[in-house]
Amino acid sequence: MTQERFPGHPFLPYLLVLPSLAVIVVFLIYPFAQSVWGSFFITSFFGDKKLFVGLENYLELFRSPDYLQSVVVTLYFSAFVVVLGLAASLGIALLLNQRIGGLGLYQIALVWTYSISPAVAGVIWALLFAPATGLIPWLVGLVVPGYTLNWMTNGSLALLVVSLAATWKMLGYNIVFFLAGLQNIPEELIDAARVDGAGPWLSFRYITLPMLSPTTTFLLFMNMLYAFFQVFGLIDIMTQGGPGDATNLLVYNLYRDAFIHLNSGRANAQSVIIFVVIAVAAMVQLRAATKKAVYAR
Amino acid sequence: MSRHTRLSLLTHAALIALVVVLAFPVYYALVTSTLSFREAYQYPPRLLPGTEFLSNLHEAWVRASFGRLFFNSTVISLVVAFVKIVLSLLAAFAYTHFRFRGAGFLFALSMITQMLPLPVRILPTYELMDAFHWIDTYYALTVPFFASTTGILLFRQFFLTVPRELSDAARVDGAGPMRYFWQILVPLSRTNIAALFVIEFIFMWSQYLWPLIVTNSADMRVVQIGLKMLIASEQIAPEWNVIMAGTVIAMVPPLVVLIALRRSFAQGIAMQSEK
Amino acid sequence: MKQGMRFGLAALLALSLFGTALAKKVEITWWHAMSGSRLKVVEAIVDEFNATHPDIQLNALYTGKYAETLTKYVAAYRTGTAPNLVQVYEVGTQTMLDSGAIVPVYKIPGMLGEEWDWAQYVIPITNYYSTDGNLWSMPFNSSTAMLYYNKDLFKKAGLDPNKPPRTWKEVEEYGKKLVNSGVVDHALSFGWPGWVFEQMFAYHNQLFADHANGRKGRAEKVLFNGPFGQMVLETWTRLAKEKVFLYGGPEYSANTAFVGGQIAMLIQSTSSLAGITKGADFQVGTTFLPRFEGYPRGNSVIGGGSLWVTKGQSKEELAAVWEFLKFLAREDVAVQWHKGTGYFPTVNNAVQALLNEGWFSKDQNYLTAFLQILSGRRDTPAATGVRLGPFVQIRELERAAIEKAVSGKLTPKQALDEAAAKANQLLAQYNKLH
Repeated sequence: MTQERFPGHPFLPYLLVLPSLAVIVVFLIYPFAQSVWGSFFITSFFGDKKLFVGLENYLELFRSPDYLQSVVVTLYFSAFVVVLGLAASLGIALLLNQRIGGLGLYQIALVWTYSISPAVAGVIWALLFAPATGLIPWLVGLVVPGYTLNWMTNGSLALLVVSLAATWKMLGYNIVFFLAGLQNIPEELIDAARVDGAGPWLSFRYITLPMLSPTTTFLLFMNMLYAFFQVFGLIDIMTQGGPGDATNLLVYNLYRDAFIHLNSGRANAQSVIIFVVIAVAAMVQLRAATKKAVYAR
Repeated sequence: MSRHTRLSLLTHAALIALVVVLAFPVYYALVTSTLSFREAYQYPPRLLPGTEFLSNLHEAWVRASFGRLFFNSTVISLVVAFVKIVLSLLAAFAYTHFRFRGAGFLFALSMITQMLPLPVRILPTYELMDAFHWIDTYYALTVPFFASTTGILLFRQFFLTVPRELSDAARVDGAGPMRYFWQILVPLSRTNIAALFVIEFIFMWSQYLWPLIVTNSADMRVVQIGLKMLIASEQIAPEWNVIMAGTVIAMVPPLVVLIALRRSFAQGIAMQSEK
Repeated sequence: MKQGMRFGLAALLALSLFGTALAKKVEITWWHAMSGSRLKVVEAIVDEFNATHPDIQLNALYTGKYAETLTKYVAAYRTGTAPNLVQVYEVGTQTMLDSGAIVPVYKIPGMLGEEWDWAQYVIPITNYYSTDGNLWSMPFNSSTAMLYYNKDLFKKAGLDPNKPPRTWKEVEEYGKKLVNSGVVDHALSFGWPGWVFEQMFAYHNQLFADHANGRKGRAEKVLFNGPFGQMVLETWTRLAKEKVFLYGGPEYSANTAFVGGQIAMLIQSTSSLAGITKGADFQVGTTFLPRFEGYPRGNSVIGGGSLWVTKGQSKEELAAVWEFLKFLAREDVAVQWHKGTGYFPTVNNAVQALLNEGWFSKDQNYLTAFLQILSGRRDTPAATGVRLGPFVQIRELERAAIEKAVSGKLTPKQALDEAAAKANQLLAQYNKLH
C-alpha cells in the first residue's frame, strides 16, 4: 500500500501523472478505439467510399488460408525466438555466473549485440546467406557438393534464417537480465543445497529455476513482443514476407494490408486480433508474476 | 591441475568460443565493408579485410545522405529517451509518494501501454498524425513514443525501496515535494536512469516501421531507413561493400551508448530484478 | 546540407531579382519514387527546370518506393495536402483512374487554352496509359522486360555467343547444355516473376483478364489460370526441375547471381541494363524475350511509372505543372533521362536524336528493348497489357503462385487456380466499392 509521504498536496499527484496519461490517451487509447471501429468497415483506396460490413473483415481473415498461414508462421517464429533464445541465453548466463575472472569483459563481449537493430541484423544475415554468393551457401556447397542453398526459393529455410537472425540479435538483452537474476540468488541457498548433497542439476532445477522465474516470465513476455513486432525491419529487409509468404509474419501482413494494399478495414481487424493475443499474454504474465511474488514471500 | 582450475579453464574456453561465434556475423560484415565491389563477389568469399573501407564509408555516407539521417536518429533517440525518463519519473513519484483517488485505475491505465504497441493502432495513429499535420516532422517521430510502462515500473520499484526517513527529513527541513523529488530522489535514481536511457536509446535508434511510414522527405529520414534505401536503391546486384559500410555507421551510436553506460546498465537491471 | 546550399542559392537569386520574380513565383511539389543513381538524374532535370523557369519553383521529393509513395499520396489527398504531381507505378493505374483525385493530362492543354501535339510520344508507351485513346497520365519512366545473357559463359559451354535463344524451347536446350557442361549450376533466373508472367500473356496476345484486359469496363475475372497460363507455368516448373531455372526472388535479387556469373541468362527489366553492364566483368548480351512456338504474336508490356496531376489546383499551379510536363518532352531532356537511367525516351524526336548520334550502335543492348516494343503489335487489348483495380495484390498472388509451383509445393494448375480464386474475390470487393 502506498504511503502518503507528502500530505496536503491534493492536486500535485494528478499533475504528475498528467503528461504520461495524456500521451497514453491521445496516442494509444484513442487510436486503438479507432482501430476497433474501423475494423467494421471496408473503405476504398482513397477513402471516399465506406461501407459498414459488421464482422465481415474478421470472418474473411479467418477464412483466408493466407492469414492462417501467417498465424502459423508467426507462432513458429516466436516459439523459435522465445524458446531457443531464452534457453541459449540462460545457458550463457549460467556460464558467466561461474565465479571466474574477467566477468566484466566477457559480459560486454557477449551482450553488445543487443545494441544492433533488427534491420541491421537483417542486413548482416542476408549477406551471410546471400544465395549463390554468400559465405554460408558456399560452406554448405563444400560440405554437400552440388547442393545450392537458396533461401530465396526455399521457404522453410528462409523462415529458419530469419528466426536465427532474430534470435541472435536478442541474445544480449536476455543474457543481461538472466545474469542479473542469477546474481540476485543468495549464494547461501545454493551452498546449503550442496551441503545437503544436491548435485548441480538438482540445485538448478529446484533452486535456480524457481528463483529465476520472475525474470523468466518477464523475458518471455518481452521476447514475445519482440518476435511479434520489433522484427518488422528484419523481415522487410531480408525477405519482405517471401518466398511464397513463408516469412509473412502477422505484423508484416498487417503492414502490407494497411500501407501497400490500402485495405484499411482488414488492417484494422488484424490490429484488433493482435491486441487480443497480446492482452492474453500480458494477463498470463501478470498472473504468473504475482503468483511467484506471493510464493517467494 | 585441480579440478576447479580445470573447470574454470573449460568455462573460459567455452566463453571465448561463444564470444567468437556470436561476433562472427558482425566481423564478416566489417570485412565486407573493406572490400571492393568485385572482391565482395569473389568466390570463395574473403575472410580478411581489404583496403576499401574509407571509400566505401564515403560512398555510403554520400549516397544515403547519412549525415542528416545520423543527426535525425540521434535527436529522436535522445529526445524520446529524455522525455520518457522525465515522464516516468514524475508518474512513478506520484504513484509511490501520494495517495489519491483513482490512483489504482490510472496506474492500470498506464500499464496498458505495453498491450498497445504500435501495430495494434497503426492506421488510426497515422491518420492522427495526418490530422495534426505532423507527417514528415519530428513531432510524429517522437511524441507518440513518450509513454513508457517499463520506465514507470522501473522507477516505481526503486522509489518504494527509498526509506521513508529521507522524505520525512526533507519535509521537516521545509522542502516541498518537488524539491525533494529533484534534489534527492532523482539523483538517487542515477543508475536506473542510465539503465533506462540505454534501453530507450537503443529502442528508438532501432525504430523502423514508424519512421518508414511517417516521413516523406529526405531531410526527415532516419538511419535505419537510409540502410533500407542503400539496399533498394540500385537495381543491380547489391553492393554489399557499400551496404556494410552503411551498417557500420548504423551500428556505432547505440554501441557507444551501451559500452559507455555498461556498468550502470547492468546494475540498473540487477536492481530491477531484485525482489 | 545540400538543401541548405540550394536554399542559399535560391535566396541569392531571389535577392537579385528582388520584387519582381519573387512575388510571382509559383511553387509546385512533385512526389516520386526514384532513388539511387536515378535520383541524381531527376535532381539534375529538376534543377535545370527551375533554372530555366524563374517564375516556377518545383520541389521534387523522393517519398519512398512506389507502394509507399502511392500510400502517402492517398493519405495526403484525404487530408488535402497532396502534391501537385505524383509518380505512380503501372500497377497503380486503375487505382488512380478510379480515385477521382486527378485531372487527366489530355484535358490540361484545353483547360489552359493551349494546343498540344500528342502524336509526338512513342505510341506503345502512351497506349498503356490511355483510355479510349486519351492519355490520362504522363508516361515518365517506362521500361519493359528482355533477356540478358552472359556471352562468356555461352562460349565456355560451347554455344554461339551471338545466337541467344529465341524460344523457350531453345532456352531449355541451351540451359541444359550450360548446366550439363558444368559451366553453371543453373542457367536462367528472372526478376519480377509476376510481371514476367504477365509479359508472357501480352507477348503472345493472350488476355490476362476479362472485359478486354480490364480496358473496356472493370475486370471481374482474371484469366491467367487458363490453358495458356498453365502451359507457361508448367514450362517454368519443368525448367526448375531440370535445374535450368533458378527462382530468383521478387524484384532485383536475381541480378546478383547473373552479375556474379552463377547463372547465364536473366529475364529482367530493361532499366537494369546500366547497372548490370557496370557490375559485370563479362560481355553482356541482350535479346528479345523468348517466345512459345505456335502462339500468336503480341507485344511486351510497358512497366515503370507515369506522372499524375492532382485535381483542384489553382490555374497558376496547373500551368506550372504543365510547363514541367512539356519540359520533360523536350528532346534534350528526354535524351538525358534515357542515357542516365536506361528508361525509354518517351518522345519520338528524342529517339531520332539518339539514332542520329549513333547512341544505339555504340551499345546495341540499349536498342534491344526498343526494337522489341516497336516490332510487336499494338492494336489489341491483350498486347497492350492488363488493367486491374487491386493490381498490387494480384501481382503478389501471381508471384506466390509461381513460387509455390516451382518449389513443387503445388502443381502449376493448383497454384494458378488458387491465385485466381483469390484474385477474383479481390476484384469483386473492388468493384463493390467503386
